[in-house]
Amino acid sequence: MHISLLKVTTLFYLVGALLYLYFIITLHERGARLGRMFLLIGVILHAAGFVARYFAAGYTPITNLFESLSFFAMAIVGVFLLTELRYNLRILGSFIAPLAFVFSIFAAFLPGEVARLAPALNSYWLPVHVILLFIGDAVFAIAFGAGIMYLLQEKEVKRKRLGAIFKRLPSLEVLDEINYKSLTIGFPLLTLGIITGSIWAEYAWGSYWSWDPKETWSLITWLLYAALLHGRLTVGWRGRKAAILAILGFCAVLFTFLGVNLLLPGLHTYSSLSG
Amino acid sequence: MADDKRSQSPMDKVWNLFTSLKLAITLIIIMAVASIFGTVIEQNQPIEKYRQFYSDATIRMLDALNLFDMYHSWWFLLLLVLFTVNLSCCTLDRLPRVVKVVRNPKTRLDDGLEKTLPLVDRWKKKGSLQAWAEKYAEVVGGAVGKPLVTQNSETLHLYAERGVVSRFGVYVTHLSIIIIFIGAIIGNVFGFKGYANIVEGQSVRSIPTRGGSRPVDLGFEVRCNRFAVSFYTDQFGNPTQQPKEYASDLSVIENGREVLRKKIVVNDPLQYKGVWFYQSSYGPAGGASARVRVSSANGGPVADLSFHAGQQVEIPGYGTITGVDYQQDYRGFGPALLVVLKKPGGQATEFWLLQGRPDSDRQRQDPYFLSFGGLSQAYYTGLQVARDPGVNVVWLGCALMVLGIIIAFFMSHQRVWVRLTPAADGRVEVVLAGSASRNRLAFERKFEKIQDDLKALAV
Repeated sequence: MHISLLKVTTLFYLVGALLYLYFIITLHERGARLGRMFLLIGVILHAAGFVARYFAAGYTPITNLFESLSFFAMAIVGVFLLTELRYNLRILGSFIAPLAFVFSIFAAFLPGEVARLAPALNSYWLPVHVILLFIGDAVFAIAFGAGIMYLLQEKEVKRKRLGAIFKRLPSLEVLDEINYKSLTIGFPLLTLGIITGSIWAEYAWGSYWSWDPKETWSLITWLLYAALLHGRLTVGWRGRKAAILAILGFCAVLFTFLGVNLLLPGLHTYSSLSG
Repeated sequence: MADDKRSQSPMDKVWNLFTSLKLAITLIIIMAVASIFGTVIEQNQPIEKYRQFYSDATIRMLDALNLFDMYHSWWFLLLLVLFTVNLSCCTLDRLPRVVKVVRNPKTRLDDGLEKTLPLVDRWKKKGSLQAWAEKYAEVVGGAVGKPLVTQNSETLHLYAERGVVSRFGVYVTHLSIIIIFIGAIIGNVFGFKGYANIVEGQSVRSIPTRGGSRPVDLGFEVRCNRFAVSFYTDQFGNPTQQPKEYASDLSVIENGREVLRKKIVVNDPLQYKGVWFYQSSYGPAGGASARVRVSSANGGPVADLSFHAGQQVEIPGYGTITGVDYQQDYRGFGPALLVVLKKPGGQATEFWLLQGRPDSDRQRQDPYFLSFGGLSQAYYTGLQVARDPGVNVVWLGCALMVLGIIIAFFMSHQRVWVRLTPAADGRVEVVLAGSASRNRLAFERKFEKIQDDLKALAV
């Protein structure tokens, strides 16, 4: 039941993404409204599937690639819907909904059977550590979307031809504001995620920091966002530079999440494709 | 600030370099990029492993750059030291200024200050200056904080602030990084990380450490009473190959007495006198041994034997037996042990003992018969052993970091000024101004509320 529930949400995200794309092309309000509805239903079903799987498996289902990709898609959609509620930025959906769909479909192609929990993951720190990081990563996804929009919009402004794209995208100021807001929420979450991971590592492996590739990449991500934060606050890296760093930062987030598991050996190999 | 660059002394130049944010950002980015190498090149592997991937020339080059253990290399530590110096200098440079500003707030709204503030409003009211000041103080007090009232000739000034602590969040965060570094140094200098493989029933006292220095004498012994892996069962209740739990039953023995006993599993270590023992790995200790029971023909037990493959054991008054082969499934009868029995003066005979049929050997119609009780495998448990006296300092640093980040990101220093002056027409001229260090949108709403409330008042 929960497997089909988790996989069927992919369809909702697909339809949501298509509607948002329809919206950015035609600017028909209805596209955005329906798109949001599909995402909302999708994320509710997704949450139900997550809870059902929690009870079926007996542990928080964020332990392998299927579960974590699926959870990440849910976190991105959830955080996006909250952002939209606050800022009424429907157009962001045209960038974020396809992203959520990509993670969701990636998960949908992986075997979804409940696996038995590896002894190393049997800890209360598992949900705390992983959920904090995924929500933080989802917030960074918003900054990533805003960053891409910023670069597109800036190009338009520079060409002084305020055409089709300009009309659709929010002003540079608003996009920069989203960049900063995301940073002030994502960065604390990333910090907490790394710290809880350290505490867990101390209890499981006997060392709060072992320069394992996953740890190191999370530090690299943290350092990139720290650089962005200081650049913004003091040297005045607003706008373009901040947008580029938000995009780079999210690439580091993705590499920490996926690249490390698929490409680099280390202690955190719970979610490789085979395992 | 404005003085000519050429007139700076070398000391000033160094100080300016280390108090600059540009250096901080550059160092942060260098650390981030450099850290990538150590994730691509697997760290601290045996040389044979590197030979599979790299040519000898490449290995020499990578080794010269310390890239096989880069996070402990001199150049990476140098980066960390530079970063720490930079962080400390920035703090020493900026913190006193912030303290000064916080201790001596601008409590009077003059024209110069007014021009720098984002939110300003002015209006005129009839009535007495004092009466208005009292009323306004009440409203401002409710919204922001009890205002300080000062008088400058005929002008009355109200000043209120809240969240002044948010100015210090960034310094708390920076301090926390230095505290974490101190904790890490304490752990590296005064602690150790080692490992111990203990065979069931045996104990260890000295621990070989990573990094190759002398083994550490614990001052007590740790005995592994038993190691066990349990496996998940499938839907029919049969065991699968998937391990569920690795557990070691450990005892701490000090001065010949058992002082502590605990079953440790992954994620639940044993701690004694600051030394932690973590379940890390396991393996078979020596070959398996077979358990064989010797019974007399009437069924009474005579002896329980346990022997390794090829080992000859004596059954007093009967003969010797040797286990020579074992099969997981002997002709569909399940696990079985092939033994050679030799009686004094007699021929050696060879026959299978079936684990599932303990009475099958009665068919030899001898005074004694043998039953196979199964194989026993002794294990060793692999433990990570660590003592890290710096770890609590690191946790303190982490807690401060969270606190600092919360203060820095979620708190805002809000300030509100009110200036009341007698106007030429006999009324009171009121100027209201405000500013917030963070979350300006939210503050704007608050400011509008104060504005409305003040204007709605009547004397």
